[in-house]
Amino acid sequence: MSALAEAVAPSRVGAREIAWGALVLGVLAAFIALPPIMLRTPVPSLILAVAALGGGIFVVREGEKRLGWIAIVVAVLAGVGAVAATQTNESSLDAVFVWSALFAAMLRFATPLTFAALGGLLCERSGVINIGLEGMMLMGAFFGIFGADLTGSWLLGCLIGMASGGALAVIHAVLSVSFRADQVVSGFGLNFLALGITGYVFVAHYGDQGTPGDVPRVPNVSLPGIEDVGFFGEAIGNANLLTWVALLLVVLTAVFLFRTPRGLRLRSVGEKPRAAETVGVSVIRTRYIAVIVSGFLAALGGAYLSIALLGSFTENMTAGRGYIALAAVIFGAWRPFGALVAALLFGFSSALAQRLPEFSESTAVLFQALPYVLTLVVVAGVVGRSRPPASIGIPYVKE
Amino acid sequence: MSEEEVIATSQTPAARLAAYVRGGGLIVPLITVVLAFVIGGFVVLLAGKDPIATYEAIWKGTGLQWLFPWTTGDDRAIAAINLQQTLLITTPLILTGLAVAFAFRAGLFNIGGNGQYIMGSIAAVWVGSSFAGMPAVLHVLLAMVAAVAAGAFWAGIAGFLKATVGAHEVITTIMLNYTAIYIGLYLFGLGGPLQSDTDRSVPVSNDIVEGAKLPVFWGDPVLQGLHIGIFIAIAALLVFWVVLNRSTTGYEVRAVGLNPEAARYSGMSVSKNYVLVMAACGAFAGLAGSLDVLGWQFRLATNDIQIAQAGFIGIAVALLGRNTALGTAAAALLFGALLSGTSQRNLDASVFEPELAANLTYIIQGLVIVIVSADVLVLGLLRRGRGFIGRGTGRSGPAPATAAARSDGAPPPEPGP
Amino acid sequence: MSTDNALELRGITKRFGPVVANDRVDFDLRRGEVHALLGENGAGKSTLMSILYGLYSPTEGEIYVDGERVEIDSPSKAIELGIGMVHQHFMLVPVMTVAENIVLGAEPRSGGGMLDVREARARVRELSERYGLAVDPDSVIEDVTVGTQQRVEILKTLYRGARILVLDEPTAVLTAQEAADLFKVLKTLQEAGVGIVFISHKLGEVLEIADRVTVLRRGKKIDTVSTEGATEQSLARLMVGRDVLLRVDKPSAKPADPVLEVEDLRVLDDRELEAVRGLSMEVRGGEIVALAGVDGNGQQELVESIAGLRVPEAGHIRVAGKDVTGRGVRATTEAGVAHIAEDRQLRGLVLDFTLTENLALREYREAPLSKNGFLSIKNMRRRANELLVEYDVRGRDADLPASSLSGGNQQKVCIAREIASNPQLLIAHQPTRGLDVGAIEFVHRRLVSERDSGRGILLVSLEFEEVRSLADRILVIYEGQIVGEFSPDASEEELGIAMTGGKAGKTPA
Repeated sequence: MSALAEAVAPSRVGAREIAWGALVLGVLAAFIALPPIMLRTPVPSLILAVAALGGGIFVVREGEKRLGWIAIVVAVLAGVGAVAATQTNESSLDAVFVWSALFAAMLRFATPLTFAALGGLLCERSGVINIGLEGMMLMGAFFGIFGADLTGSWLLGCLIGMASGGALAVIHAVLSVSFRADQVVSGFGLNFLALGITGYVFVAHYGDQGTPGDVPRVPNVSLPGIEDVGFFGEAIGNANLLTWVALLLVVLTAVFLFRTPRGLRLRSVGEKPRAAETVGVSVIRTRYIAVIVSGFLAALGGAYLSIALLGSFTENMTAGRGYIALAAVIFGAWRPFGALVAALLFGFSSALAQRLPEFSESTAVLFQALPYVLTLVVVAGVVGRSRPPASIGIPYVKE
Repeated sequence: MSEEEVIATSQTPAARLAAYVRGGGLIVPLITVVLAFVIGGFVVLLAGKDPIATYEAIWKGTGLQWLFPWTTGDDRAIAAINLQQTLLITTPLILTGLAVAFAFRAGLFNIGGNGQYIMGSIAAVWVGSSFAGMPAVLHVLLAMVAAVAAGAFWAGIAGFLKATVGAHEVITTIMLNYTAIYIGLYLFGLGGPLQSDTDRSVPVSNDIVEGAKLPVFWGDPVLQGLHIGIFIAIAALLVFWVVLNRSTTGYEVRAVGLNPEAARYSGMSVSKNYVLVMAACGAFAGLAGSLDVLGWQFRLATNDIQIAQAGFIGIAVALLGRNTALGTAAAALLFGALLSGTSQRNLDASVFEPELAANLTYIIQGLVIVIVSADVLVLGLLRRGRGFIGRGTGRSGPAPATAAARSDGAPPPEPGP
Repeated sequence: MSTDNALELRGITKRFGPVVANDRVDFDLRRGEVHALLGENGAGKSTLMSILYGLYSPTEGEIYVDGERVEIDSPSKAIELGIGMVHQHFMLVPVMTVAENIVLGAEPRSGGGMLDVREARARVRELSERYGLAVDPDSVIEDVTVGTQQRVEILKTLYRGARILVLDEPTAVLTAQEAADLFKVLKTLQEAGVGIVFISHKLGEVLEIADRVTVLRRGKKIDTVSTEGATEQSLARLMVGRDVLLRVDKPSAKPADPVLEVEDLRVLDDRELEAVRGLSMEVRGGEIVALAGVDGNGQQELVESIAGLRVPEAGHIRVAGKDVTGRGVRATTEAGVAHIAEDRQLRGLVLDFTLTENLALREYREAPLSKNGFLSIKNMRRRANELLVEYDVRGRDADLPASSLSGGNQQKVCIAREIASNPQLLIAHQPTRGLDVGAIEFVHRRLVSERDSGRGILLVSLEFEEVRSLADRILVIYEGQIVGEFSPDASEEELGIAMTGGKAGKTPA
């Protein structure tokens, strides 16, 4: 876990690699039933899926529970998915599984989650639970586009949006750190507050027409050369600026957290605040900063939704993404790259849910629930297998 | 005296006050409400409107004037109708409030009231619109039982996950909320399995059979009078109180909520209690859904599913009511009045637009929840004491949702060297 | 004002409201000396040192470091002045490495503001060699022994240039061998000119390691004496103010049939490692059996298994002849086991419950406290009032929350409840932790009287004196097995050797 010590017991190395192998097998099982390979018999897929399942079970027995369970779930889903795919006609599959479009959509859906997850990560690493990510995102979504409309600049809009998230975060910080309130309850209350405030100002200012259609948007970044190249062209050739910012931020956060002194101190505050305090690290100050930064980041994720992705705001447009981001933090074991993987996973499920109506109208609605069900499964299967920062949720009493 | 004793005894007077407040003192919730409304008033002010006039206009729509003997004549008639509306809205809020309160007592934060409510209403509408020949009482009972079961099952999923793998019930119940919405949209959408047989162009369910409707006892059924569901809700309050305070089950629930470790050491099964409590909460919320369906909705459209929020308001209700029976009833009435007073049909649009008012109620709900979460703040205003954490694992108000959320049962914070 | 003194505390007084924790205490420390601070629990030692470390500020009094007047308002200031503190409960981050813990807050940096990992490792190694404190910079704290953790704590202070080292009850968690190693390290530090404040309540150690001793009692300094010519008895007299009977007077035991039989028990701990490895023992009615051992050798898991809180992997547990292995707390309670849990605030009581409710925790499911699933509040209250009187719990209003009681009274409530269930076997796990002398005396006397009524008592304690004073038989547990059985007359050496794995005493049957 630590940058200084690769203290991996020998027995773990073997189990981990097997787990990864099982995971790959599972993914492969699903993949070969889909375009472009599109095998029409489920048999090879099932063989691979069973192998993956076996690998996963073996690994769980050996103690590598987290990856093992993930491999098992993937194997089961892949098996089921492969069978379903082989039952569906080829043109439907072709319509839905346009990988480049899926990839691009995955990035689009993952971007807001990534921002919010990074914010949630930093906050929780300092020991404060942040259920209010949803509200902070919503603040950023509205005040971002509001600001962009008023100032005529998407950059200023983003900054204003971030500031609004930060403002909500300040309340959370004051309540959680100084008043030692119940962090889950206070965070949740802030979500209502945000819902009311954004809705209120939205209706008061924009009335029935909603946000104007010509608000300046965050530009996409077209990569010359790559743009026309097959898969990559559509997948990443024209991604939004904020998406690249999000990816960059993942790297920066990882470096910060594990390779800088301040990151070390942040982690110590989240693990054992008293230890940090006795060597002169201010727990209160660290937590305040972490909470407020999480507000900035979550709000930026929200601003992406309104300014970059959709170009408009509707009431409660975040629709639970803040909570999914929290699940991403847990799934990623409170590490930036883990959270990114989780965000991509959820993003992929949203992307799929968006394309599935292509082949079945009425059940399309049901598939909209896919990201939420996936989150449920993830949280159920992963929590308890990874360890949160030890002092999370416990208010700190300074003597 | 050991240093521990030094610290413990020096706070005995404060502990007594805390015990008094916990015992049901009205002051804290009152201050909470006042604070929330005052801050809400500031929001109104910031929007350029008159807070006093706004609150007055809201008050007019609640119908509570009917309770005062000096309201007479036409005013009284109008107030009667408004009060029926208020109580109509209060009925499900009592139950969804209980759905959250009971969970909090066990140390769980049940945010899934809305999803459980929706599942309950789905079950109720399905049973209520089938079995055409059934005798009325039986039919109503069956529909309610189905709703209770659906809600209990839905909440039970979260309870089960919490008990077995320690999954954070906040996230699981929220995800279940969204899932419930999509299930509803699917079922009653165009071409969906439960869509109306008679009208295929509208995404709505079948109508409730006449015999399954709850009788109205006050007001005109045509104008949506008050149905007997309110008595059922009050009965639920009684059940809640008796079970929690006088039964061994309630004793266990409270012990688990206040100190799961000590409960475990006394032989209680924390996991079993979690599942039981969540299921009970889902039952309450599901029942709420059935009362609305059988009482005045009589059918479910996909739109109804999407705008349902009784479950969410229940959270503020429970917190404001400090998770007690009486408190929940009072808080449910407060929010029922607030919602009725700000509704499209009751609020004078020239004073304050109803769409804005809807958001104002969100703000007030949020403020209530936030203020209650920092009960130290309010208690501090009361006694200017130092907030002292040495009182053990928590307060009886919003139970230590965060402490219980730690599945490893970690010890409470150390009070210092 | 002698500049020989590394440290001088003059007239330190600290009040918490009406309570005076330190009353005009004087204390000085010469360079290169080991000066012990002796006193009972609550005498004010920890408060005094917390003031020194900047965690509290004194109500009155002055502090001088190297002859100069200073104000210490935070731990950072204390560290700046060269004061280092090794707390009784270590202030280490379990998931981080040794090196990370040592450099936290004063991290060496490389270009660009990055954490210089190699430099950190190097510095740790250098300090470690210089003072004889063997540690591996890359090992993770939660994986190393307690002795190693303590070395890390000491290195933390030395890394920051400490010239005054305060050790708070350092040997409380160490084995005899680790304690000996610690003393060697302290000698090295002494020679390097570091002044050491050694807080303890263990008389023997104080005589061994310290040059001078200051005794505190009830917040006041009683005297400062040289350890030359002092004896345990003379120190004890200073500590307590009277001649202390270091043992409880008790009639001899009359053991009857076994109330607890443990056979070949194997239990896993939370990390799924074997904590109890084929352990067998028995406790008979009418005797007190003490389980002695260094913390972490399986006592916790053993007690939890007997109480029904943990399911063993193998073996049997029989209470009064009935097999209760792995059957849960309710079954063991019914079989006649009562458990005075280790941490009364965490496990023994629901602090927000009233005394009435707390006293019902064991038996609420049965008559007369409940009937058909409904509680009889009347009977619960009656039972509570009876017990509160019998156990002389001060603050007797049964409707007050348990949080309003003092530690001693809270423990009495726990004991009352457990004994009221009329057990055959009473498990007492650290029953006097954090209690003052009066409360300790009460608990000891009560345990003996329960023994005399025929109950079997399993006492688990880390306090040597308590074990020797109360036990009829002492079983030493080491690495999950009983390695020796001793009579209470056994010497500390014998017990200490057994506790660290050496062979002595009767081998178990």
